[in-house]
Amino acid sequence: MTKILLAVLALVAAPILGALITGVDRRITAWLQSRYGPPILQPLYDVLKLLGKQPMLVNTWQALCAYVYLVGAALSVVLLFTGSDLLLIFFVLTVGAVFLVMGALASPSPYSQIGGQRELLQMLAYEPLLILVFASIAMVTGSFKVSSVFELSRPMLYDLPLMFIVLGYALTIKLRKSPFDISASAHAHQELVRGVYTEYSGPYLAMIEIAHWYEVILVLGICALFWSTSFVGMIVLVALTYLAEILVDNVTARLTWRVMLKSAVGMGLVLTVVNMLWLYAQ
Amino acid sequence: MLDTLVFVTVLLPFLVAAVLLVLREQNLRKVILVATAGVLILSSLAMLRGGAFIMSPAPLWGSLVTLGDFLILAVVLLVGLKRKNQIIVWLTVAQIVGLIWFDFFMVKDHGATPAFFADDLSLVMVLVVSIVGSLIAVYGIGYMKEHEEHLHLTTSKQPQFFFFIVLFLGAMNGLVLANNMLWMYFFWECTTLCSFMLIGHDDTEIARKNAERALWMNVLGGTAFLFGVMLLYKVTGTLSLQEILARGPEFAVAGGAILVPMFLLVFAGMTKAAQAPFQSWLTGAMVAPTPVSALLHSSTMVKAGVYIIVRLAPIYAGTYFSNFVALFGAFVFLATACLAAGQSNGKKILAYSTISNLALIIACAGINTPAAITAAILLILFHAISKALMFLCVGAIEQKIGSRDIEDMRGLFARMPRTALVAVIGILTMTLPPFGMLMAKWMAIESAHGQFLLMIMLALGSGVTVLFWCRWAGLMLATPFAKAAPEAQDGTIRGPLYLLAGLAVVLSFFSPLVYNGLVAPVVAMYYKTAPYVLRYGNFESATGVFLVYPLFILLGLGFFFALRQTRKITAAQAVGPYMCGEQTSVDGKPGFLGPLGQNVTAVSGNYYLEQFFGEAMLSKWINVIALAVLVIMLFGGAL
Repeated sequence: MTKILLAVLALVAAPILGALITGVDRRITAWLQSRYGPPILQPLYDVLKLLGKQPMLVNTWQALCAYVYLVGAALSVVLLFTGSDLLLIFFVLTVGAVFLVMGALASPSPYSQIGGQRELLQMLAYEPLLILVFASIAMVTGSFKVSSVFELSRPMLYDLPLMFIVLGYALTIKLRKSPFDISASAHAHQELVRGVYTEYSGPYLAMIEIAHWYEVILVLGICALFWSTSFVGMIVLVALTYLAEILVDNVTARLTWRVMLKSAVGMGLVLTVVNMLWLYAQ
Repeated sequence: MLDTLVFVTVLLPFLVAAVLLVLREQNLRKVILVATAGVLILSSLAMLRGGAFIMSPAPLWGSLVTLGDFLILAVVLLVGLKRKNQIIVWLTVAQIVGLIWFDFFMVKDHGATPAFFADDLSLVMVLVVSIVGSLIAVYGIGYMKEHEEHLHLTTSKQPQFFFFIVLFLGAMNGLVLANNMLWMYFFWECTTLCSFMLIGHDDTEIARKNAERALWMNVLGGTAFLFGVMLLYKVTGTLSLQEILARGPEFAVAGGAILVPMFLLVFAGMTKAAQAPFQSWLTGAMVAPTPVSALLHSSTMVKAGVYIIVRLAPIYAGTYFSNFVALFGAFVFLATACLAAGQSNGKKILAYSTISNLALIIACAGINTPAAITAAILLILFHAISKALMFLCVGAIEQKIGSRDIEDMRGLFARMPRTALVAVIGILTMTLPPFGMLMAKWMAIESAHGQFLLMIMLALGSGVTVLFWCRWAGLMLATPFAKAAPEAQDGTIRGPLYLLAGLAVVLSFFSPLVYNGLVAPVVAMYYKTAPYVLRYGNFESATGVFLVYPLFILLGLGFFFALRQTRKITAAQAVGPYMCGEQTSVDGKPGFLGPLGQNVTAVSGNYYLEQFFGEAMLSKWINVIALAVLVIMLFGGAL
């Protein structure tokens, strides 16, 4: 019963929370750039307006892909909140991501095509990192279940400090933050128009936006697991991490996908191995 | 009853094959093939209902098998002499000498060992061979007709073709049901010969060359197999696979001695499963007509290789050797996934992805825990279905568009809506939850838990896998908004496509039942525990949980709802693709309005990341590393 309640809560609260976080993000970014910035509820207004627009599509596959992306993202958040299996969450997240790319590739527009290809490269960079993070969590808790993280007596961050950095790396890629906003950027400095989002418009763009909020909550939720022993600790850790992301977003310039792939895989592997050796030594 | 079933699944294909060889009447061949497929499918299902068994046919058959052994070796020797291939000649001579000594001087109690035995693993294999293999044979009818029309042959070569295809199915069934290791060796050699003949079927320069390469690599495996069996007999004193498995723990404790024959047999399995450094024979095999590739890659040949490795896993459980097998598998899984990502040739992508998945199965056998073996068996099952489906799709597409390059498949949905959709379903069942392949992969990764090196390779490998499948599915759908014209297709081609696609989805839905009925008992038999508890059809263990039905229902509902919404979209809501506001369209091909009002057609291509994943870059290093791991496996693990 509590699981069903949690699931419903996740389903309803996650996108609202995600919208608010995006709103705050935009305000802080504006502040860093000496601008005033939009109201905090602006992302919500945008999406509501988009939802009211008339649908325009290149072909029907895009509509299908937008829906499935949303379902995949929402389902992975539900799975996280109900304490399910980390790897399973990851795979369900992949369902959404794959359909987003398929929708982009389903249009012959070169902008959308390159956006889709780059999004695949982003996935290639962050997916192994996430699996490695989950595997290390399983090393500490002895299980891939989210629920077993909450049975720990001390925060996981003590055992897996380097893995948290790896997660941060994956986070930057997944949230499309600079320097890894390669396939699509939140800011207006994208040479690919809107990259992987180019061909989605109107209500379908709104759905993609909502799905992205779900994903924001998902990755931040995974960050929160690193301080599972206290609720305040979770909030503080997530807030600090997100602030760091915003800062990085604003002080770095976009890198090429080659640098992203090499650095993500290289750094991810080195940090993982060092952290694991340290864990064995303890 | 049992006699009949074994007769039908193993011997009947041999007899039908002989009939097909002399038969030149097309329609009759079609009827016989479809009927044989039906009989094989039904009898494999009946055999499954009957459950485990042991059977010894009359001693005469044993003599026939011995005769068959020498016959095959003689044929291979002749081929080797004709092609002047020293490796084939000397390896075959070694086998002939070894077999004479083994058959007539070493083994005393020839009749005493039952020829056949089946547990659930064998029965799953029989199902895979009989159902998937038969469907491929049926597909071959329509495919070969068009294939030969295309080649303008004066005399049809279909009799030989179907002779070897059907023979192959019988040999595979025999192989997976064999209890007597000598019988297994006979069927093993049968599959080697069949694959050689089928790869060289088109008799072009490249077909001959690739067939010869496949032959020498598999003869090497066959030699390892024979000497493995001889050593095994020396150590255990029996040829009965069932007895060896039952006494497995006892041998494992005794240590050392049993590991050398194990290494030889596993090595034979690796050559047959085209693992690095022997991957080139399978990638070369794509010169053959598509049904051959489909057969080799999904239900026969390579599956024989992983079958023997998984079959023997309980014997080498808990040894260093087993760890090296896992390491080898995980490495090849990652390496060949990278090779697949660097390809644009559809058949080559499929070939490398097959090798990659087989390596994952081998890694599971090496991890050798109940959960890992469960993953291995499920991978064998689901991979066979989805991969056969993908090959048949590529074959059908190639006949229509004249290319197997995925770049040429852009917008395929407009030309071949049904085949493109079936191919997309095939790709989704390969890569995404809640389908069986992904569930098995989940089991594999979770069972590697705690072994970090394995974990890293599996994590990287599965990331790369998503890359090459996803872009393929996406670009086939790149079409303008329009109702696609229905495509014409032969029933013998469409039927297997639909059946396999349906099977891939439906069987995934019933995966809890498959696990409970087929996999859990056999794993519990050899490992004493069942790895997963099923609660409401969800897989649960201490390390994790996989929700089958909630995922199926929620994702299914989402998908269904999305489909319904897309139905409502009208042509009025359709726009051209985004071209910076400068779009033009010539002959339905979108493009930009360039300088002087010229049309510039929009062209895009995939990233193949040649500098990371190019074949020329990687193959050499992969072969060196794989060979090094094999050597370490022999000296560090087995000796």
